[in-house]
Amino acid sequence: MCDSCGCDLTDSHNHNHSHDTNSRVIEVHQSLLAANDAIAAENKAHFEAIGVVAINMISSPGSGKTTLLEKTIERLKGKIRIGVIEGDIETDRDAQRIRAKGVPVIQLTTGGACHLDAAQIHKGLHLLEKEPGGDKLDLLFIENVGNLVCPATFDLGEHQRVVLVSVPEGPDKPSKYPKAFISSQIFVITKTDLLPYFDFPVEEAKADALHLNPRLEVMALSATSGQGFEAWIDYLKKITSNKDSAIQMEG
Amino acid sequence: MHEMSLVQALLAQLASLAAEHNKKRVITVTLDIGPLSGVVIDSFQFGFDILSAEDSLTKGAKLIIINPPATYQCIRCAYKQAALVRPDHCPKCNETLLIPEGGDTIILNQVEME
Repeated sequence: MCDSCGCDLTDSHNHNHSHDTNSRVIEVHQSLLAANDAIAAENKAHFEAIGVVAINMISSPGSGKTTLLEKTIERLKGKIRIGVIEGDIETDRDAQRIRAKGVPVIQLTTGGACHLDAAQIHKGLHLLEKEPGGDKLDLLFIENVGNLVCPATFDLGEHQRVVLVSVPEGPDKPSKYPKAFISSQIFVITKTDLLPYFDFPVEEAKADALHLNPRLEVMALSATSGQGFEAWIDYLKKITSNKDSAIQMEG
Repeated sequence: MHEMSLVQALLAQLASLAAEHNKKRVITVTLDIGPLSGVVIDSFQFGFDILSAEDSLTKGAKLIIINPPATYQCIRCAYKQAALVRPDHCPKCNETLLIPEGGDTIILNQVEME
């Protein structure tokens, strides 16, 4: 018989307590993400110390994150100093595309892991600072591994989180992958030039996303045709503008 | 399958707790996993079963997962309700826009060790 509860069960695996009197219950009450979150907080402090606004971009593979970044860099050249940390499981193809646009970029390959974590960003940031121009940035894009699920759980220390869904993926992504939409500030619907060819009710997708997160700001754009692109550019100018004036004052 | 990364974080935390309290074996681990945490509990359990068996400290340990509700606050009347599954509307004013609060944490609460 168990001395603790008086039951007849001898299999400790059916119990909330052990039958061994040497055992002890330790109260922990700490997040499993505590180690990641501590590094994320250091990353954020570092971003602020060097005066950079960091954006974490989360989407499925093929939603057009890299194309959006290419067009954004072209559009903001000479106005906002942009750097990019690319996350992928394998290859540096995305980094090559961004490097061709003439901005500092670092490719992180996770070697199988489905998301970036704060420690990888810490490392990536130091590598980026060694690239020409990488130590003088206004805006840092972190292009997460293409995956609408896992990256949503890991804080990287970013100031803003942007979730993207492309028209060919369909309008039901917010409902199916709620965490990415609940944890983001901006929802960008991409490839709107393809709307005539796909059944993608934009208003329905917006409503579904707002249903999950009423604070979400929604944009719909095509990086290829330029449709709706100004709202995105205005948003980037807005989040970097306070810092710009601060830098000018210092200069 | 980021649950595997989270299980690794849990096992690292268990190893440091065991060292700190001079214990040799973990008997039970109690976790709170919120409904908005983005964690699939079955996947987490699967990862724990596989990885915990690789270490004598955690071999045979039992995982108890509690799924606490999230709070949803109405954007119009500010009424709050707790729920495991997202409610369709506010029961007071019928508004459909509800702001989720909490329910997104993954907390290691208790560890029984010997």
